[in-house]
This record gives sequence, C-alpha cells and structure tokens, in this order.
Amino acid sequence: MIELKNINKTYPGAVPVHVLKGIDMHVRKGELVSIMGASGSGKSTLLNILGILDNYDTGEYRLDGKLIRDLSENRAAEYRNRMIGFVFQSFNLINYKTAVENVALPLFYQGVSRRKRNMLALEQLEKMGLRDRASHLPGEMSGGQKQRVAIARAMITNPSIILADEPTGALDSQTSKDVMQVFHDLNRRDGKTIIIVTHDPGVGAQTDRIIRISDGVIVD
Amino acid sequence: MNNDNRLRRISGAFPRMAIFDIENWREIGTTLARNKTRTFLTGFGIFWGVFMLALLLGGAQGGKDMLLRNFDGFTTNSAIMFSGKTSMPYKGYAKDRSYELDLTDLKRLREALPELRTVTGTQYRGNCSFTNGRYSVAGQTMGCQPEFVDIMEPVMYSGRFINETDMATSRKVCVIGKRIAEQIFPTEKDPVGKMVQINGVSYRIIGMAGQVSEINMGGKIDEQVILPFSTFRRAFGTGDQLDVVMMVAKDKQRISDIKQRMRRVIYSRHYIHPEDERALWIMDISEEFEKIDKLFLGVSLLAGFIGFSTLIAGIIGIGNIMWVIVRERTQEIGIRRALGAKPRDIIVQILSEGMALTAVAGTAGISAAVIALGIMQRVTANEISTPQFQILPSQAVWIMAVFLSLGSLAGLIPAIKAMRIKPIEALNAK
Repeated sequence: MIELKNINKTYPGAVPVHVLKGIDMHVRKGELVSIMGASGSGKSTLLNILGILDNYDTGEYRLDGKLIRDLSENRAAEYRNRMIGFVFQSFNLINYKTAVENVALPLFYQGVSRRKRNMLALEQLEKMGLRDRASHLPGEMSGGQKQRVAIARAMITNPSIILADEPTGALDSQTSKDVMQVFHDLNRRDGKTIIIVTHDPGVGAQTDRIIRISDGVIVD
Repeated sequence: MNNDNRLRRISGAFPRMAIFDIENWREIGTTLARNKTRTFLTGFGIFWGVFMLALLLGGAQGGKDMLLRNFDGFTTNSAIMFSGKTSMPYKGYAKDRSYELDLTDLKRLREALPELRTVTGTQYRGNCSFTNGRYSVAGQTMGCQPEFVDIMEPVMYSGRFINETDMATSRKVCVIGKRIAEQIFPTEKDPVGKMVQINGVSYRIIGMAGQVSEINMGGKIDEQVILPFSTFRRAFGTGDQLDVVMMVAKDKQRISDIKQRMRRVIYSRHYIHPEDERALWIMDISEEFEKIDKLFLGVSLLAGFIGFSTLIAGIIGIGNIMWVIVRERTQEIGIRRALGAKPRDIIVQILSEGMALTAVAGTAGISAAVIALGIMQRVTANEISTPQFQILPSQAVWIMAVFLSLGSLAGLIPAIKAMRIKPIEALNAK
C-alpha cells in the first residue's frame, strides 16, 4: 500500500537541516500503524511527505502502486483529494461552514453537485453518529464531535489511506478513546489503512504496529 | 456499487464548474458578510468610483447639450453684425462717430462676398403698444425680411412667417410672439386671422411664433411682434437703416475666413479706418460654437481625469481587500489545498469574491448615477428640448468591464500569492 525507499529530506537554509535520513518504510493495506517520536524527530515531515503535502529530495515513495514524485500542483491536489484522507490535531474545520458542508468540501473539488455531495456527507455523518449535528457550525460542537466531523470529511472520498496527525492531541482522555474507537472501526469494519502520528504511547499501544522515528531515522 | 466507482461516475456526470456552484456564491456572501465594515467600505469605494465616472460622463454630455441648446434653431455657420462708434479718426472724420448700416450695405456684402448664402437685416422699435381693443401690452416690434428664417428659424406655433409677397406689397400683416399673444388674446388658442394694433395701426396676424435659441438680438421672438421689413420702415419711418445685419455662409465656407473682407466692405463705404476694430462688431456664431466644443473637450478631459482617479482608488480598494482576504484565510487555503483544491480553485475563489463585490457595488453605482442623471435631466428639461443627462448602455457596460477587469487584475496578485502558498505552510499559518 505504502512503500518508502531511502527517503531523504533536507530543509535548506543558512544551516541546512537534514530531517529525514534514508527512511525505509512499508505499510500494508488494511494496517493500522502509528508513527511515534519526540518533537523534531522528523515524524511530521514524514507525514507531510506521505500526505503529498511536501516533497522529498531523494528516494522513492509509492502510494497504492503509484510513484509519488515531482507531481504537478494539480496532480498532487488530485491525489490528495482521491487517495488520502487527512485528520488533524486542531481539526482544521472551516468555521463558517456547517458540519455537512465541511464534510462535503472534498467532493466540491471533484465537481460533484451540491445535492449529491450533501447527501453523501450526511451518510458519513450518520456513520459517525452526528446526523443531528449536520447543520451545526464547528463553534457549536465539542472537540470530540469536531474530530468525528473531520474523520467523516477524511472518509467522504473513500480514500486508500487515512493520515492522522496527533488526532487525540487536543482531546480529553474519554474523547480520545472514542476517537480511537472510530479509527478502529474504520480499520476493522471498512478495511481502511490508517497511519497515526502521535507522541502518546497510549494511542500507539492501540495500533497494530508502532514505527519509531528518532533524529530522522526509523529506529524500530 | 463500489464507492470509488460511484464517485468517479458522479465526477464524470458533473464536470468541474466550481464558479457556477451555488455554494461558491453562498460562501462569497458569507465571507463578505462576516466583515461587514470592511466589505461596506471597499464596496463604497467601488460604488463611488463607478458613480462618479458615470455621473461625469453623463453630466458632461448633459452640460454640453444645455449650452448648445442656446444655439438650437440658430444656423451656426453664421455671423451677426452691429455698427458701433469709430475709435480712430479717418479721412477727415473725427473718432467717436456713429454710423448706420443700411440696405446698401446688404447689397454690397452680397456682391463682394459670394461665399455668403444669405445676407439680411432687421430693425427694431421698442416700447410699442400692442392691443386688440380689450387687452394691451407694451413691447418691441421687429422688421425683417423673409430670409430671417435662414439664420434663426422661429418655432411656428400656428400660421406662417413673413414671405416675399408680404414684403413686395408692404402688407399690413404681422407675426405675433407667443408671449404677447398670450397677453392680449388670453382666451384664444390661436390668434391667427385676428387683428392687432401696433401704436394705433391695425395689422392682421398671419402667424404665432417663438424661438428655441437663447441668443437674443434685441429681444426674443416670443416677446415681439414681427412686421415685414417694408411695412416696418413705412410704419416707423426708418428708411433704409438696419439695426442688425445677419449673414449665413455657404456650405464648406467659414465665416472666420471672410470676416476681414466683411469689414473692408463696410469700412470702405462708411469711411472707417481699416484698423479700427471697434467700429463694427461682428459675432461669428460658428466661433462661439467651437468655443463651447473646446470648453467641453476640456470638461470631458477633466471629467476623464477625475473619473480615472476614482477608478484607480476603487481598484486599489479591491486589491487591498483581496490582499486582506488572502492574509486572513491562509490557513483555510491550506485546509482546502489538503482536501484537494487545485491552485486554480483558490484563484477562482479569491477572484470571485472581489469580482462579486465589484459587480454588486458597481451595479449600484451605475444605477445611482442613472437616477441622479435622470433627476438632472428632468430639472433641466424645458418644453422645447431635453439635455441628454444620461449614459449610454454601452458606456455603462464599458465602465463595468473596466472595473471588473482592472479589479480582477488588482486581485490577481494576492490570488496568485494565495495559490503559491504551499499547503503545509498554509496549514501551519496562524
């Protein structure tokens, strides 16, 4: 599903920072894995490369068999839209759009009609148990609800993988458990490949496999 | 059905038309409504720019029409001549000498200046008493030749003007001015055929007239009674003398080219120093006409400059708001990019906000200008003519097109900046 071979990434500057140093990584379809590491270890850079939000310098990244390298902005946007679902620590919902509009947004960029995308968004919200919150703005929802809206948004294009960056970082422990349960369900029930970046060992423990990264190198 | 296939089918069935998507427009409305003060101020800047530009363009035309109205009914390629007092001694005559123009001068002008189509003259007698036995009014009488109509065409409310037969037979007929007729025939709609006494002598009314032109030569036609020249000179014993000589140049001839020769014709007969400019007053109507044209060219240029300045101010406003929009929404742009927005989607989004504001405020500006011009037109209209205080639909479209395209251009720079933000940088923006 995901194959990284000898990925290197250096941020240029007065003192160039070599963030990723020859990362080799393999994630199978239907796996639920976590990437753990300290601050500055390179885990966020790795996630950005996996999410086609950032480029790498050398190496090879294949997603679902497709080589992800030197993509045009348009092609990268298309891949992000169709193949990847993002879940962020701070939810990153658009605060003046309702839950259903937020969830439907990725379909807007596929040119799906408003009626159809809202219908599909409602289906996703239903799955997250948030149908009654469909017309609420993010400001009117709790942290857990917001994160479930974000997960619904990540799921709406039926992507190959879901990338979650500290998805429980802004939530209390009970809500974190609920959100992790959602990931488990998506993984077990729908067979989704899920990669979670976290520094929380509790979250890591709930995944099939933990990939530890330290100073730009996978250590475990 | 496989969800993936379903999405592909949906995508295929609905081509990308984000700009026509109602949500796009709702979003624009929401964004603009969220920052009411900023939206209002920017919108007002655009409104004012469009309003001023449209008002200046329409107003300049209306103002020109108002001034040119003074010439309505008046042949512009013409001149009027009055005798004055000499200001230089010549051939034994002292200065400050008065002299009169007369019928011989008309004849000499016709002979010497083949460029002239018409040469005619008028006489005036003020303080005449007009009465029909019941109502009386005092006013001015004018004696003129039928050619008078070639210079200043009167508005004939009824009947006809003086003709050659009236002149040849010195008929006791008159054309009555509308204002005079209203005073001595207050109950008659049409006084033609009735009699009027001028200083006790009866004349049959053959026509009722007025004038469009604001040019006054001893009084407006509306406020005079007009007699055939031959009848006038007999009635008032004025002989051959003329108060005013009027001339019309033939087509393609310019009065200004023959003005000096006119002077020479008059000066040689009346013993006036060739350089005595003050002895004869010649008003070149075409010159006055050109002065107005030039004045309004200046006014139009000034209007254009002011309009252009307001336009630039409005466009800077649009560019500014777009810049602020991009800065404020960098993170949102990042979210959208992460969710699959292509660079052009971001450009369309940013531009359509500025363009929507421009379109709404600009349309309001054009509408307000049309209303203001309509009021100006109504206020300045009279029964004879209506100055064109209005902008042409093509001008309105042109103004909107300029605002929209320059506005887009101003918005393009922030939009391109937005497009260039890397999704990851945008997501990290606070």
